[in-house]
Amino acid sequence: MSRRYLALSLPLLPLDRLRRLDPSLLDRPLASWAIQGPRRQLVAADAPGLVPGQTVADAQAIQPDLVLFPADPAEDAALLERLALWAMRFTPLVAVDRTEGLLLDATGATALLGGEEQFVVAVTSRFRQDGFRLRAAMASIAGAAAALARESRQDRIVPPGQERDAIAPLPLIALRLPPDMIRSLGRMGLHRIGQLCRQPRGPLARRFGRVLMDALDHATGDRPQPLQPVRPVATFQAVRHCLEPIITRPAIDQAVEALLAEICRALLEASRGARRLTLRAFRVDHRVQEITIGTGAPTRDAAHLVRLFAGKLDQLEPDLGFERLTMDAHSTDILDGLQASMARRDGASAADTAALTELLDRLEQRVAVYRMLPLESHWPEYAAAPATPHEQIVLPPDWGNETRPVRLLAEPLALAVTAELPDGTPVQLRYGSRLHRVLYCIGPERLEPEWWGHDAARPSRDYFRVQTAEGPRLWICRLGEPNVLPPRWFLHGYLA
Amino acid sequence: MPASPALLHDLRQRLSQIERGLGEAAFPPVPLCPALDRHLPEHGLARGALHDVLAADPGAALGFCAVVLGRLETPTLWIAPEADAVWPAGLQSLGLCISQLILVRYRRPAEGLWAMEEALRSPGIGGAVLQTSHLDLIAARRLQLAAEATGNIGLLLRPATEARNPSNAVTRWQAASLPNPQAAPHWQWNLLRSRGGQPTPWQVTCAPGGVLQAHAP
Repeated sequence: MSRRYLALSLPLLPLDRLRRLDPSLLDRPLASWAIQGPRRQLVAADAPGLVPGQTVADAQAIQPDLVLFPADPAEDAALLERLALWAMRFTPLVAVDRTEGLLLDATGATALLGGEEQFVVAVTSRFRQDGFRLRAAMASIAGAAAALARESRQDRIVPPGQERDAIAPLPLIALRLPPDMIRSLGRMGLHRIGQLCRQPRGPLARRFGRVLMDALDHATGDRPQPLQPVRPVATFQAVRHCLEPIITRPAIDQAVEALLAEICRALLEASRGARRLTLRAFRVDHRVQEITIGTGAPTRDAAHLVRLFAGKLDQLEPDLGFERLTMDAHSTDILDGLQASMARRDGASAADTAALTELLDRLEQRVAVYRMLPLESHWPEYAAAPATPHEQIVLPPDWGNETRPVRLLAEPLALAVTAELPDGTPVQLRYGSRLHRVLYCIGPERLEPEWWGHDAARPSRDYFRVQTAEGPRLWICRLGEPNVLPPRWFLHGYLA
Repeated sequence: MPASPALLHDLRQRLSQIERGLGEAAFPPVPLCPALDRHLPEHGLARGALHDVLAADPGAALGFCAVVLGRLETPTLWIAPEADAVWPAGLQSLGLCISQLILVRYRRPAEGLWAMEEALRSPGIGGAVLQTSHLDLIAARRLQLAAEATGNIGLLLRPATEARNPSNAVTRWQAASLPNPQAAPHWQWNLLRSRGGQPTPWQVTCAPGGVLQAHAP
């Protein structure tokens, strides 16, 4: 069975966006403009006699009551992506096509709505109801469908295998070639796609290069362009359609529980566990909200996943209500079933490990959780580095045998130190408003920077373990900067 | 007829368990060192309970928590508002292994309390430290109930200025450093409050590996 693609072309998207924001613009001529070189030109126009590319002055002369807005491509792109996400209600594979189109991979999805014709009507009528003007075309080649959607007068459905004939009469602009190229081709008498297909490829390729060949091959399907979906297709998906839009938290909780139970059943059948789950809530006003959670180890325990989501559901803004909820498991790992009696063979540790993993998953949703990974470095602050809490820690031999502080300050405090000699041991030290007399002092322990590292140019450090008369034991350091007198001192940590 | 000391001891034990809501299930206490264990009513630091640690000196208070967590020999959580709250390379010599320690950094105090409660409710760990400045009695009671259910030990590491505020922890310690010519761990652990026991100041030294020696001056 061949693939079927539905292309939607929304050339008036910028204007439809403005009209949805301000309904008073509905029956007035409207255009948006942008500065192109030295002139202000229309980029989208909806008024008799106006076309994109006209200068604003000309347009105002033709239509004196024209309402003009500056173009906002970023906002238009964001809207198109939102529409693409929303269109995932019809098929899981939706792509954004340049700046004004959507491509839906409708393979296998049309039967759900009763056939291709009904599918196209269902999709287009939902868009039109919400004030988006568009053309649709369905074909077995994505490029051909897109070209047809752009240049046809009405919605089209091309049966499989007839795409070449269908696109033959279309003008070259349907291929979205650069304007210079269309003009040059026009001078050779080539105005339609059919004429171009009959030309020998060699001379065309030599004259116009890769761009023309790519556009032509994508449209004819000789070299189809792969679809870049807005969201990757999930292996496991569960869907809930709501008869009435749901607004309340208990209703959302219940729907999420049902979705997770369904996903977990599917995962169990496939012997897999989820690592990353996304909840998508489709709001009635075509906005899609996403919540993603990650787990430290593959899991298919619905109760655990419900708890992970519970903390994040506050972020949802139901507003007028959600009409559809989907749950995707995009990242899964193999998780073989464990028999309860088998798991208990090595004591209670298997259950405890599972409990720890679940605890870490819950904590990670709200706070930063990490382990410290021991590293083989003598430079004090490089002796350990943060890592994910699920990391297996292997202790290097002899690690942690030096006397090191129980708290190492991330930002050492500058100290005012009184010493007997400029490079002697400290007698008294002051930081902030605190003054400490030194009773005993052990050191120096000289540490040279790692010459192979990127901070080889740093000064060496002389560390002292200092016992103060007041009690606290401090780990202080003197920088070995050759030209700085008196030397600079820092408090780097508190010893136990 | 006078009751025998063994019977009295047994009755006291059961009464204290009922008072703490533990029912018949008792968790073995965490041993500290022989002298301290003899003094404490539970013969060690009680599991399934909260213990207050007031930091008169940062190093000594961190040392107390590290020694206690190190004795659990299970994964433990250290919940603090700063990223540089503890340095694992220094904890190794106090008996707390880096592979058993998981660090949690919170931003808002409420998040810290939530993380502590989740941790105390989980059978996957043995104990947790919460570094916080202030804790009201209701929050502390919640944590106590969470700890009782699983037998996890909860340490509340707070600044010394909190000494004037009441607490419902089972024990309350104040940890300060004492001068030591070797600049090695030498602490004053003031047992300020102990449910069913006597408040006493202790002088404690710690040998490498977290082996304690204590005497009351």
